[in-house]
Amino acid sequence: MKPELQLFWIAVGLYGVSTFSYIFGLIARQEKLFTLGLFSALAGFLPHVGVIALRWSATGISPFISISESITLGTFMTVLIFLIFQFSTKKLRPLGVLVMPVAFVLLGWAGTLMKDVASTLAPALQSGWIWVHIVGASAGFASVLIAAGLGLLYLLKEKNSGGLYEKLPDLAAIDDLSYRFISGGFILYGLMIVSGCFWSNQVKGNYWNWDPVEVWSLVSWLTYGIYLHLRITFGWRGRKLAWYALIALVAMIVSYWGIPFSVETFHSGFRIEHT
Amino acid sequence: MDTPTPSPADNQPEQEAYPVEPRYHPIHKIPRKIYDFLASARLAMVLLVTILACCISGVTLWRGAEAGRMVFGALWFNSILVLLVVNIACCFFGRIWGRRVTLISFGMILFHLCFVSVLLGVVYNSLFYFRGIIRLTEGEALPSGDPRSYDSYEQGRFFSFSRLKGETTLIKMHAGFKIGGEDKRAAYEVAVGEGGDRSKGIIYITHKLSHHGVDYFNDREGYSLLVILSDNQGRELYGGHVPLQSIRQKNGSFKYSTGYRDGETVKQDVILFPPPPDKPLVALQLGYILSKLKERSGDAEFALFPLDLNDKPLFNMKIAEGKSPIGNKFAAGNYQILAKEVRYWVGMTVRYEPGNAIVLPSLWVGLAGMMITTIGRILRGRRKRI
Ligand code: HEM
Repeated sequence: MKPELQLFWIAVGLYGVSTFSYIFGLIARQEKLFTLGLFSALAGFLPHVGVIALRWSATGISPFISISESITLGTFMTVLIFLIFQFSTKKLRPLGVLVMPVAFVLLGWAGTLMKDVASTLAPALQSGWIWVHIVGASAGFASVLIAAGLGLLYLLKEKNSGGLYEKLPDLAAIDDLSYRFISGGFILYGLMIVSGCFWSNQVKGNYWNWDPVEVWSLVSWLTYGIYLHLRITFGWRGRKLAWYALIALVAMIVSYWGIPFSVETFHSGFRIEHT
Repeated sequence: MDTPTPSPADNQPEQEAYPVEPRYHPIHKIPRKIYDFLASARLAMVLLVTILACCISGVTLWRGAEAGRMVFGALWFNSILVLLVVNIACCFFGRIWGRRVTLISFGMILFHLCFVSVLLGVVYNSLFYFRGIIRLTEGEALPSGDPRSYDSYEQGRFFSFSRLKGETTLIKMHAGFKIGGEDKRAAYEVAVGEGGDRSKGIIYITHKLSHHGVDYFNDREGYSLLVILSDNQGRELYGGHVPLQSIRQKNGSFKYSTGYRDGETVKQDVILFPPPPDKPLVALQLGYILSKLKERSGDAEFALFPLDLNDKPLFNMKIAEGKSPIGNKFAAGNYQILAKEVRYWVGMTVRYEPGNAIVLPSLWVGLAGMMITTIGRILRGRRKRI
């Protein structure tokens, strides 16, 4: 196996360890397992960074183009933000119980879709906007995933009491934090869409074409726009929004990686028929 | 459990009842009823959810062009979008009216204002835009302001062709164009305008040419053969460039031939030669087999058919069929035919979109508005905690 692939599967393996530590930690109410979960996530993150660096240095082409690269970057951003958040606040230790399984499954899935690195970058992608675009997309995904994780903690704390749950911040604080991450995700998705519009305008002279990837990104954005209005204008709080954040996350994963790439779109390579 | 208990960070200066109701009412009775309808937060939710549902159906139930016809291009869908913006205008601004301007509300105002200005930009654009496809062979110039220069075009009600002055010229097409080590594949050297007011430049996929607000983008390119038809004494009857389509073969390679585009596929076909409005003499099927050794050389393939009185090809009475190197004559019954040289043709998209100057900056301002609101909230959260 190539060193790149070895690193990749080591990362997946360690995220797997992290996933099971978090889940069993929650079931067995063993906080030590959360510590194990956190540190195996950190340990998995290092080879994860290594994979991206290796792919990048192999060709000099930013490795965020194919679907598996896109998922690899999305999970990279998720684990990065998760780790920063966990090491800066100690209060939400079980947060990984949603974040890490999602990262584990997605990265494993990316592994099965992996192709050789492209040797050239399609001309249309040779633009600085690609950076703004992919950072917005991946960090937006990371934010709403963490928000959903907080939603799950909210629901768990509401149902259970004692021990581990006592140590969590109170419900209103979890709810508020989840809302913060949703707002952040909403802005980042906005950044992704606006930069995509600019980029498309530069390449094709139109900023919006209702192509499937554009529509799916609008779907995710509207979904969270509706969340914000339910909260601000209609005063929803707590349980309902926690469920909303969880369900919206599923929609997000499907729309983000499941569907757009299975159809011919502007994003699936750029047509130049002439060779 | 779900009683609205605003978290500390959300406490407005005044206590609110949910849903927040408009505070500004213009007049009473009927206008008031219409206003209340347009300004209701419930309408906003219904519209947002409806749009969401339409978007989802437009990428699942219907796909591609069909989705455009059924949903995104349909009048009813666009009416919903317009209604949404009117709703934003009434609902949001009715509510925010008279409220103290804080960082939070300022950001929100910017943000919702941008929705309105995006719509205005889109409407303005739809009245004045022009989008066309112009196809040129190297060395060819076409009058920019003549609708016949375009393969196809669409325009806003108030667009005037007099805006497109002078000529559009394709000077040269550069295959395998590289810039700063990046392979741009194809670049077109073009000039537009008239007299001293001309813009000249190279366009490739991430680089357009602009001339007085009109943008030129590269779209597609192909080969074109200069074909000369003579009688069998060698007297020239007609000469002209014949653009060829690239037809993808099963093995992934391309065949270059006369033909036409049928949706996504290209079909091989004959053309009338000379092409109308001149009086056609034969039906010609032309192909080009490029040489791997030298650019713009190789062989031309010919098939010639006679025409009946209505200029319909008589396919069962083929005059001749064969192949000859570029620059060499080919004898075909009473005619001689010559593919004299190979050039490129290119198709460029020509766009005049004046509304974009409103829409695109609005998007950024809107994004900034969202950030300002969020920063405002974070700051307020901090202050509360201290
Ligand atoms: C039907 C159109 C819309 C109406 C009537 C509307 C109305 C409102 C109102 C009344 C507020 C709260 C202001 C306040 O009372 O403090 C608000 C906030 C907001 N709206 Fe809208 N809005 C509309 C469309 C949108 C859309 C399409 C989006 C984006 C998806 C959006 C994003 C936001 C955001 C981000 C906030 C601030 C939320 C926060 O404070 O975090 N709005 N809107």
